[in-house]
Amino acid sequence: MGMKQTAGEAAHAGRSWTTLRDAKARRLAALGAPAGNKVLEARAMVETLQKLLQPGDRVALEGNNQKQADFLSRALVQVDPQKIHDLHLLISTISRPEHLTLFERGIARKLDFSFAGPQSLRVAQLLEDGKLEIGSIYTYVELYARMFIDLTPHIALVCAEKADAQGNLYTGPNTEDTPTIVEATAFRHGIVIAQVNELVDELPRVDIPGSWVDFVVVADKPFAVEPLFTRDPRHITELQVLMGMMVIRGIYERHGVTSLNHGIGFDTAAIELLLPTYGESLGLKGKICRNWALNPHPTLIPAIESGWVESVHCFGSEVGMEDYIRARPDIFFVGADGSLRSNRVLCQLAGQYGVDLFIGSTLQMDADANSSTVTLGRLAGFGGAPNMGHDPKGRRHSSAPWLNMITADAPVVRGRKLVVQLAETFKKGGTPTIVESLDAIEVGKKSGMPIAPVMIYGDDVSHVVTEEGIAYLYKTDSGEERRAAVAAIAGATPIGLRADAARSAALRARGVIAYPEDLGVSPMAAKRSLLAARSIEDLAAWSGGLYRPPARFRSW
Amino acid sequence: MSAVAAVREHRQFLGRTSFIEMGARERARAILDAGSFRELLGPFDRLKSPWLPLQGIVAQSDDGVVLARGTLDGRPALVAAIESIYQGGSMGEVSGAKIAGALELALRDCEQGKPVLPVLLLETGGVRLQEANLGLAVIAEIHAAIVALRRHVPVIGVISGMVGCFGGMSLAAALCSRLIVTRQARLGMNGPEVIEQEAGIAELDASDRALVWSLIGGEQRYAVGLVDELLEDDAVAIAASVRTAFAQGLPRQERSAQVDLYLERLAAIDPQRPLDGPGLRALWHGAARS
Repeated sequence: MGMKQTAGEAAHAGRSWTTLRDAKARRLAALGAPAGNKVLEARAMVETLQKLLQPGDRVALEGNNQKQADFLSRALVQVDPQKIHDLHLLISTISRPEHLTLFERGIARKLDFSFAGPQSLRVAQLLEDGKLEIGSIYTYVELYARMFIDLTPHIALVCAEKADAQGNLYTGPNTEDTPTIVEATAFRHGIVIAQVNELVDELPRVDIPGSWVDFVVVADKPFAVEPLFTRDPRHITELQVLMGMMVIRGIYERHGVTSLNHGIGFDTAAIELLLPTYGESLGLKGKICRNWALNPHPTLIPAIESGWVESVHCFGSEVGMEDYIRARPDIFFVGADGSLRSNRVLCQLAGQYGVDLFIGSTLQMDADANSSTVTLGRLAGFGGAPNMGHDPKGRRHSSAPWLNMITADAPVVRGRKLVVQLAETFKKGGTPTIVESLDAIEVGKKSGMPIAPVMIYGDDVSHVVTEEGIAYLYKTDSGEERRAAVAAIAGATPIGLRADAARSAALRARGVIAYPEDLGVSPMAAKRSLLAARSIEDLAAWSGGLYRPPARFRSW
Repeated sequence: MSAVAAVREHRQFLGRTSFIEMGARERARAILDAGSFRELLGPFDRLKSPWLPLQGIVAQSDDGVVLARGTLDGRPALVAAIESIYQGGSMGEVSGAKIAGALELALRDCEQGKPVLPVLLLETGGVRLQEANLGLAVIAEIHAAIVALRRHVPVIGVISGMVGCFGGMSLAAALCSRLIVTRQARLGMNGPEVIEQEAGIAELDASDRALVWSLIGGEQRYAVGLVDELLEDDAVAIAASVRTAFAQGLPRQERSAQVDLYLERLAAIDPQRPLDGPGLRALWHGAARS
């Protein structure tokens, strides 16, 4: 024993085990801040970043789906590229122009990201100009997963609503990704800087403990946050009402779906607004749609108010919903202070393993039901949809809908998550949604991606819903039969025109496809008057005035 | 509010019929006494715009205006409803002539001692640019007909949204004896997009909905006394309010005839100092509603 120890010590005598800790100490010393003072001067932020950062650093910038550490990103973009360059940016959502100006100025060089909605054109352009190098494009949880494996940040620039002098943070309802980014950084000797809206003596609650946070700085203005999950019911079409009715009857009722996640869009907003009216008339209250992994969609308010919803766990919050959530603590996850606590990674986990169904709309689908929201000339990334929209093969617990998907009669079988894709056969302007070849293939080639950026893989899809009908793809027994089922509900698209009438009739007889009349849904009844709310005003009224729609959604 | 009261309110809310949701034909039907709706020059008369097809636009068989005769509390009535989803409710030669002609016929009936109650459902961006001068000419005829008709019966205008009422047709609205609006309605000469395009985004950001409605929205127009009734988007309430407006009879003085009052109000405005919605309310307070 004693011998071994000695040998071990000898073998490692020359090596330091504290290089990371020492490096962090050197950076902090270079900053020259008095020990114990965590509060930085906002005016000196550019200079501070210049002292703390080193060329080539991995920087996690928050860059979330909703809230943005915009004070810090505006400061970062002003550092001297002679001193600070070739940064490796880890950012879940590229949504602000300065995120990309970092690359134009040469401050950053490499990029790992999940989603670039508003900036997707510029990402493609910078890539083409050779100013930006992409590590990988991820789903949210994958990017965060790698922060705990081989992409640990040297510096994290995050945001919160309030901090105290000890660096404890109150994130407010939009907790989102902050705890995850901070954990990955703080526990591996990275430096965590949080911009806050205000410094207070006492926080409403502590979302992130001060010992994880190196510095806080009071921003010049409150952090930016976008109402991304608000859909004005005024724009829901009667086709979407029809599809919503089919989903409620042909999927939710048929399989008894009680736990679920809705993608964002007008199709799913229609379903949410049909629950208190159409769903009620079918006597389904309490039998479907009870437990949700969902952002606080304003369009869920009528269903909550009518007693349909037991619980909602949220990825993030939604602007205008704060007071409503606070007044419904039975439904939402709230802190002792009463405000929402969201958490994107945990909600993603819940959405993968805890719920039985994902449903979302797609912009393009091929004959095999692979789908994509990628359009030519843009590099938009993935966001969270692929995580929700797949069948997690690691799941072992069962539930009625999960077992309901089993079609094989064998001693060893497994259930399956319901993954539902909604697609109107044609988009505005008469372009078909169901196509021979996804634009994603071309985009993938052009951007040098190793594989095409498919959002939802066809073999994960259990149901496809168009205005023509539902294809129960989980019932198909071959790739060829899958394609026949998709074609049977693809309307007048090129894929639909290939459908063989006799084949479709046979699939219909076996229940592999169903038309509205097979589900007891009358297209004539699909009127907007079935929606529990037909405008933002209606939603505000449903909430008893607790929902305060942002100005851009108010028509009064 | 107690839970029970809240539930009751929701029930009421669900039971309400939205007027905004309706098309022009449904709106006219909702205003008139049940079962009394009879359409004049309907789609099967195929009175279309001769000008739109020349510009590659498919013409609709009623040119976007629904004329309906019927009754209001049993009294003969005329409703002219503009279909906002067809060419933005714009007034072309045919659609404008339909309204002007119907009002002129109502005038003839009134002159012969058979009063007809006229209602205008105004959802229009104004003149149809593709038919420029012809559209403007018929709008002038509509103005003249309203002024002639309101000597006999009140002319009632309804603006419910979501298009609003703009351009030459906003003058038609201003000539009405009484105007009924919802919160969603807008009433103004130039639409916000036109102002932004002509005067720049610094003058008016047309995408700033809160700002737009604070200037020309139904609530603001009601607060400064330019309209007479502010209602929820409820078809039953709007139909009832139209009946009440007729029951009140001819106004003592038409709003558009109150020249001195409005000259005085305009004189109170200093064009050097930009005026916002609340500012105008404060300035005109007294004569206007709070």
